Amino acid sequence: MRLNWKPFILSLFVILVLFPFAFMVLLSFMSGWRFPDLIPEYMGLNNWNTILGSEVGLLESFFSSLIISLSVAIISTLTGFLLSRTVYYHPRKRVLTLLTYFPYILAPVVFAACLSYFFLKLGLFGNITGVIVAQFLIAFPYALLFFSSFWNKKIRSYEDLVATLGGSPVQKFIKVILPLAKSMLLMCFFQTFLISWFEYGLTSIIGVGKVQTLTIKVFLFIKESNYYYGALACCLLIFPPIILLYFNKRYVFKNPI
Amino acid sequence: MFLEVRNLTKSFKKEQVVKNLDFTLDAHQTLSILGKSGCGKTTMLKMIAGLVKPDNGEVLLAGEAVTLKKPEKRNIVYLYQEDLLFPHLNAFENIAFGLRLKKLPQAKITEEVDKIIVSLELEGQATKMPNQLSGGQRQRVSFGRAIITNPSLLLLDEPFGSLDAGTRKRMQTLFQNLTKTYNITSLFITHDLKEALLIGDKIGFMKAGNLKVYEDKNAFINDTTTGVQEEINFWESLN
Amino acid sequence: MKNKSENISLGLFVLIGVVPFAAAFGYAILYSFGIIGVVNTGFTLEFWKAVIASGEFFKSFLYSAVIAFISLLISVGGALWIILKFRNQLERKFLSYISYLPLAIPGVVAAFFTLQLFSKGGFFSRISYNLGWTETTVEFPDLVNDAYAIGIILAFTTIVLPFFVLLFMNVYKNERIQELSILAQALGAKKNQVVRKVFLPILLQKTWVLIVLYFIFLLGAYEIPLILGQEAPQMLSVLIIREIKQYDLTKISEGYVAAVIYTVIVTLAAIMLFLPKKHGAYET
Repeated sequence: MRLNWKPFILSLFVILVLFPFAFMVLLSFMSGWRFPDLIPEYMGLNNWNTILGSEVGLLESFFSSLIISLSVAIISTLTGFLLSRTVYYHPRKRVLTLLTYFPYILAPVVFAACLSYFFLKLGLFGNITGVIVAQFLIAFPYALLFFSSFWNKKIRSYEDLVATLGGSPVQKFIKVILPLAKSMLLMCFFQTFLISWFEYGLTSIIGVGKVQTLTIKVFLFIKESNYYYGALACCLLIFPPIILLYFNKRYVFKNPI
Repeated sequence: MFLEVRNLTKSFKKEQVVKNLDFTLDAHQTLSILGKSGCGKTTMLKMIAGLVKPDNGEVLLAGEAVTLKKPEKRNIVYLYQEDLLFPHLNAFENIAFGLRLKKLPQAKITEEVDKIIVSLELEGQATKMPNQLSGGQRQRVSFGRAIITNPSLLLLDEPFGSLDAGTRKRMQTLFQNLTKTYNITSLFITHDLKEALLIGDKIGFMKAGNLKVYEDKNAFINDTTTGVQEEINFWESLN
Repeated sequence: MKNKSENISLGLFVLIGVVPFAAAFGYAILYSFGIIGVVNTGFTLEFWKAVIASGEFFKSFLYSAVIAFISLLISVGGALWIILKFRNQLERKFLSYISYLPLAIPGVVAAFFTLQLFSKGGFFSRISYNLGWTETTVEFPDLVNDAYAIGIILAFTTIVLPFFVLLFMNVYKNERIQELSILAQALGAKKNQVVRKVFLPILLQKTWVLIVLYFIFLLGAYEIPLILGQEAPQMLSVLIIREIKQYDLTKISEGYVAAVIYTVIVTLAAIMLFLPKKHGAYET
C-alpha cells in the first residue's frame, strides 16, 4: 500500500511559512530568554508598551519609514509612468531600456556609496529628503520597466482612436490612459512602496544613522544583541505588507520585466 | 471632389509601403478597397487620418489641405478592426465619448446617444459594460461612437474581420443603412471580395503599396488581376 | 509642441535614470585612479595593482557567485518541484494566500530570523541541548557566520524560493502547460517525458532572464551577508562597502577599484541580457 505523503508535505509548507511570523511575534513578547531555556522568563506586552512609550524611538522609525516609503512610491510611480510613455514609444527604446537596467541591477548599496559624495555636496546627506531622493533613484528604474508592457500596440490604437475622435492630448490622458492604467498604477505603487519599505543598505549610507527607518532599527538591535526589540521592529516591518496582501494579493506579484 | 489624395508616399526603413497614392472620392460615397494584409492599406488610412506622417504628398478635404493638421483637428475618424471600446465605460458612455470631449450639455448628449442607439438596434444595451456585449454589438457601439461625432470622413480598417459569417452579414446591411441615414463618406478596407462589392459605391484594389481605383464595378470585375474572374469561374464550374 | 514635451520628458528620463548612474560610475573611476580623494595626489595605477595583486576581490567575487548559484539552484529546483507536485493544492484559497505571505519578508528580517534559529544560542541549539544532543553551545554546528555560508544560503532561499513558486505558477497558467501536457500525453508521452519535454523547457525558457536577473541581485546582496557572513571572504557588496567606509583613508581607493570592476561586470551582464535584438517588425 502506498502512503499518501502529500498532505504531510503540504502541512509542513504551511508550518514553514507561518513559523517565521509566529516566531517573530512570540519573540517580541519575550524578555530574559537565556540559553538553554525553552521558555523565557517573561512573556507579555512589556516590549510593546515600551514602544508606545517611545523610549526606543521605534514608533518614530515606523512613521519616518512610512513617510519615506509613501513619498518614494508616489513619486516613482508617477514619474515612472509619465516618462515610460516617451521611452517606450521612442524609436530607440531598446537602448533607453538598457540604460534603465544599469541602475536597476546594480546593488543599491554600492550605487549609494558611489553617489554619497554628490549627496553630501547637495546637502542631501543624513536627512529624510536625501533618503527619499536616493530611494527614488532605485525605485524609478523599477517603475519605468514595470510600465514597459503597458505601452503596447493596443494602447497606441486607443490613443490614435481618441485623437481621431477629436480628443486633445490632455483629454486623451485623463479620460482614457489613466483609467486604463489604473490597476497597473496601483500595482506599481505597492511594489515601489515595498522596495522602499524593505531597503536597508542604501538608506544606511545616505542616512548615515541619522535617518532611522525600521530596517535600520532592526540592524541596530541585532548589533546590540537586543533580539526582543529586534523582533518587535521586524513585526512592524512585516505587518503592513501583510495587511496590504490580505486586501489584494494580486498587487504584490508582477514580473519585474 | 470631397476627398482628394495626391501622391501620398511612405517608406519604413528602406521599404516603400505606400507608393504615389492618388485618388479622389465624392461626398456621401463609400470607396471599398480590397487588399491582402501587408499591402500598405493600414498605413494609407493612418496617413489620411493624420496618425502617420507621409513622406510626400497631400490630403485635401473639401478643397482644404489637411496634410499638416493634427488628427484631432481633422474630423476624420479611423476605426480599427478591433472595436477598441473603452473597458471602463458602458455602451452609452462609449458612444457619448466624442460628445463629452466637446463638452456638450448633458441633455443634448442623452438625446443624440439615444437616437443613435435606436438606429444601431442597441436598445436595452446602453448600461452594459463592453465585456457584457457580443462581438457584433461591440462593433456597433464602436460605429455609433464614431458616427455621433459627425465626422467628415470615416476610415474603416477591416471592421468586420473578426465577426462570424452571420453577424458579418447583418453588419454589412446595417452599415449600408447607416451611411444613407447619416450621409457618411467613407473608405472601407476589406479582404472579402463580396463585401467590397456589396458595400462600395466605388471599388479600389491595393497591391504592394499601389492603389488602383476602378471607374465602376464592371471595370473591377473585368480586371483579371483582382481575382474576381477566378471566383466567378469557380462558382460557374459548380453548375 | 508635442516634440517639446517629449524632449522634456526625455531630458527628465536622462536626468533621473542615466545621470546618477553615470555620475556614480565616473566618481568611482576617478577615485580608483587617485584623481580625486582626500589623501590622493593624482593619477596612479597603484590601487588597481594592489587590488589585483591581493586577489581578495576576485576571491570575494567567486565566493559570491558560488553562493548566489547554490541559492538559486535550491530555490529554482525547489520551486519547480513544488509546482510539479502541489500545483492543484496551491490553487486553493487558503494555500494560495499562504504562498504569498513570504513576499512580506524583507532581507533584513530573513537574516535576523535565520540568526535567531541557527546561531549557537538560537532556537535549534536550545532544542538540541534539551534533547541531549549537545551539551554546550560550542558543540552546535556553525550554521551562521560560517565558512560554508550556510546561513546566507538559507536566508537567500527563504526570500527567493517563494518568489519562484509564484512565478512558475503564473507561467504555468499563462502558457497553458496543463493543456500542453495533456496533449503530449495524448501523443504518447510518458509522465517523465512530459516533465522533461514540456513542463521544464517551457517554464525555464519563459523565466531564464528572470533567473539570471536574480543571480545578479543575489550577487550584489548586502544586508543578508552583512548579518550572516563571516570575516573573510566576504560577499561583494559587504567587501566594497567595508573598504569604502573604513577609517584608513588610504584604502578607500581600493574600495572604489572593486566598485568599478563590479559595476563593469554587472553592466556587461545587462548588455548581454537585454540588448540582443528581437526581430523588429513594422506595421503596414
